[in-house]
Order: sequence, then C-alpha cells, then structure tokens
Amino acid sequence: MPDHPTKSSISRGPRDERPIVEFNGVTRAYGSRLALDDLNLALEPGELTFLVGPSGAGKTTLLKLINREVRPTKGEVWIDGIAAHALKASHVAELRRRVGVVFQDYKLLPRLTARENVALALQVGDLRVSDQEAKERALDALEAVGLGDRGDALPHELSGGQQQRVAVARAVVRQPPLLIADEPTGNLDVETAWGIMDLLEDIAAFGITVLVATHNIEIVTRLQRRVLTLVDGRLVRDQPAGQTGRMAWLAWS
Amino acid sequence: MAGVVVKGRFPRRHVMAAVAKNVFRYLFQGAARNWARNFSSTAPALSSMTLLLSLSGLIGLSGFALYNLEKIESGQASVLHVYLRDDADATDVFTLRSRLALDPRVASVNYTSKADALKHAQSMPGLPQLADSSESNPFPASLDVQVKSINDVAAIDAMVRTNAAVDPVYPTSYDRGAYQRIQAVLLGVAIGGLAFVALLGFVAVTVTINSIRAAIHSRRDEVTILQLVGAPRWMVRGPFIVEGAITGSLAGAAAGVVTFALALAGIAEGSASFSQFAPGVTITVAALAATIVFAAGLGLGSGSSLLSVRRHLEA
Repeated sequence: MPDHPTKSSISRGPRDERPIVEFNGVTRAYGSRLALDDLNLALEPGELTFLVGPSGAGKTTLLKLINREVRPTKGEVWIDGIAAHALKASHVAELRRRVGVVFQDYKLLPRLTARENVALALQVGDLRVSDQEAKERALDALEAVGLGDRGDALPHELSGGQQQRVAVARAVVRQPPLLIADEPTGNLDVETAWGIMDLLEDIAAFGITVLVATHNIEIVTRLQRRVLTLVDGRLVRDQPAGQTGRMAWLAWS
Repeated sequence: MAGVVVKGRFPRRHVMAAVAKNVFRYLFQGAARNWARNFSSTAPALSSMTLLLSLSGLIGLSGFALYNLEKIESGQASVLHVYLRDDADATDVFTLRSRLALDPRVASVNYTSKADALKHAQSMPGLPQLADSSESNPFPASLDVQVKSINDVAAIDAMVRTNAAVDPVYPTSYDRGAYQRIQAVLLGVAIGGLAFVALLGFVAVTVTINSIRAAIHSRRDEVTILQLVGAPRWMVRGPFIVEGAITGSLAGAAAGVVTFALALAGIAEGSASFSQFAPGVTITVAALAATIVFAAGLGLGSGSSLLSVRRHLEA
C-alpha cells in the first residue's frame, strides 16, 4: 500500500518498489452512477495490457483517472509513484509528461506538420529543448514508427494509419514510463491495426508500460497479453499474459 | 521498435536562449497569430472597449477640470468683493480698508480700481462685449477681502454693506448658498459620470469575456491536445490572456489617441474660454490622460481574459 501524499507538491515514492500504475479501492461516480466501483489493479514496467469490456463498462474513465482528467470519488491512484488522486490542478502537467496518450481519432494539430506535432510534445513539456534538438528527436521518433520520410507532411496528407503512427511517435518521444491508448485501432483497417499493435508491442519491449483499451477481440486473443475485463465499472477478470480469455466475448457486446 | 529515441543533453549556453524562444513562440507569437485569425470574434470586444475607454478618458478629463473648478470656486467663495460707490470719498474708502485689514477674521484686503475691474472683465468669456458696449466704464471699484474662514463671510458682509463708501444698490458679491449649489452640482456630475463609466465597464468586460470564451471554444481541440501532452497551465492559459491584452492595448491606444486629440482640439479651438471651462487641462495633462487610458485598456483586456480563462478553460 503506498504512503499517503506528503505535503510536497507531488508526492512520490521509491520508483523501483512500485508498479507504474496502481489503483487502490478506486471508485468513480458520475452523479448516482458508478463508472468504476472499488477497483484494484497494478501494472508493472514493460507490461502490455489490454482493457476490454462493453461500452459504458468504465474503460475510458479508467484511462482518464490515469491521466488525471478526472479524480477518483474514493480510493487512490498512483502513477509512476505520483499520487494522482491528490494532485493539484497546477501540477497535473507534470504527471501528464510521464504518460503518453494515443486516441482513436489521433488528435493531431491540423496546422502543424507530423514533425511539428511530435516536437510540440517535447517542447511544451520542457522549454529547454531547442528547435534543433526537438527537430532531431521528433525525426528519430518518426523514423522509429516508420514515417521518417513524412515529417513535413500535414495530417490531412497522411492516411489514418500514418496519422496514428504520428500520434504514437508523439506519445513516446519523451520516453514516458507509461503509454495509454484508447481504441487506437478503432478507425483503422485490419492490416493497419496490426501495424499499430506491432508498434505498441515494440514499445512495451523497451520497458514502457502500455495499456490499451480496445474492442478488437481478435487482437486481444491473438497477442496473448494480460487482459483486464471491466463490466459495469467492476474488474471482473484479470487474465495473465499467455491465456486465452474466457471473458473475451464481453468485448463484442 | 525500429530505433531508440535518445534523450539529448542541454548545452548550458543554449538553454536560456531555447527557453526564451519557446516562451515567446508559445505565449506571444501564438497569441498574436490566433488573435489575427479570430479577429471577427474579437472585433465586438475591441469596439466596445474602445468606446468605453474613450468616454472614460473624456469623463476623466472633465472630472479633473471639475475638480480644479471646485477648488477655484472654493477659493473664490471666501473672497468678498465689496463694491464702492463711484462717488465714494477717498477717506471713507481708506477708513473702511483699514478697518477690514485690522479685523482678525480677514486675511488680506486689496483695492481694485474701476480701470482694473474693466481690464479684468475684458479677459472673461462673454464680458468683453458687455464692457465694450458701454461708452463709460460700468464696473465699480472694489475692496477684495480674503476672509480666513468661509463661515465668516456673511458676518463681514453684514458689517460692511451699510458703510458710507459702499454701493447701496449692489454692496457686495456675497450670495448665500451659491457655493453649496456649485458643490451639489459638481457632486451630481461626478456621481453620474462614475455610474456611466461603471455601466460601460461592465458591458466591456462582459463582451470581452464572451469573446475570449468564443476563442477558447473555437480552439478547444488545440487546448485539449496541449493539456494532454503535458503543457503547463500557464502555457495553456497564457496565450488567451495575451490575446486579451492585445485587444485591450489596441483599444486603449485608440481611445488614448481620441482622448488626446479631443483635448488638444479643445485647447486649440478656444484657449481663453477652454481654460475657464476646463481649468488645468493642458497638453501635459491630456497626454497623461491618454497614457492612463492606454494602461487601463491593457489592464481591462488582460483582466477580462483572465476571468474568462478561469471560468471557461478549466471547465
């Protein structure tokens, strides 16, 4: 059990002793409706984990709690040793710099090129990064996702799969310890979706914890990674990696 | 993954330059670009703020003039002009002057001859025509008595009005209640002016808040992305506040020019009468008023934006 937040602006514990993500008895209510109900879970460094469940099960709420877009009604959320549940609004940015985020709709700035979109994440998070350094590191990240030659392209000049690759590059360019993805393959065809999943697997292989919320049951069953199944805000199953999920059918509903 | 993204080191000599460049880019350059892009939604705020500040500048100058007028009137109210008969005996005049000078309630007594009275009248707005219309000098000689306390003016008036040297028809300048009436009028004008400025201020702040809200709404995707990639709060809020400051400073500059130009026009058009109706309003004062109007615009724009950002951005 983590310590309670200290008086410092962001309370952190010894990193090596903690999971990257830790939920302790987390409940999140919207009015009288419970989006998450007494949730306990832990994600270790380098884990690729799928989050499945029917619509309205609480997957997006869970991701929002990790990124401190919402606070828990009850319980504790620890992200890389940071007490997200007790974090003041003025310090949320510090947490978010440690969490890469990938969305179903990519969320790229349409007026910026692919390289500028990636560099933006570097420079807004750390003003000391010069243009030259940001450019080089952004190109490195784009190279890593297979788009080294499309750095000057605007988002509308790229396919959906390429835009999602740019979004992945933006999410990892700062080398965060955690990457969360909300339906990253939802807008992509099957082949492109597998390309994105290959990327996420590679990222996890480099020690970054990856949590993917998805409805794509084929990907979940074939990759044989850890699967968390949410139903009505409750974690009904936590399948370890390597097991075929009996509850995977829930993702279809 | 096909490659490893290696975190770079920051050469120390470049750090400050990089920080300054990034702050300028994300705070000021971005704000200026967005302000120009969203001009249509900013225009109502700019217009209403310019109108408000222009009127405030003019009301402020008027208030300053009224303040000076009040001081002059206050000083004049404690001066009692004792008008002398045209045929008054010099000895009687001397005796009266001595008596007044010895009175402990009197600060000073000056004698104004008929010729001096005419000369003074000719410098007053409207009076030169009157002075020139008569072949003889219609203005009487007088003893100008500076009374120490305004409360003793009535007693001095009562003491001198039956004196043999004093004009029996129009003995003194004493007018009971005149000073209080002037003060009441000035107070009313001041309250009315302040209420008007407050109303205009409320309108301008409301319009500005709404224009910034529209700007936030039109860029909500960009704001969301910035927040999600870890932009600090000041970087998300800052450009909107700078946009408000741009609107405010432009409105302030325009209103400052209007204030200064109108004041200059007033001074140039009729310096003699203007200095009577707006005492103390000089070119320096007009320039100071224009500067204050500009600063008020800057503050109003920034403050309104800050309010709007606090109310709408975090929501």
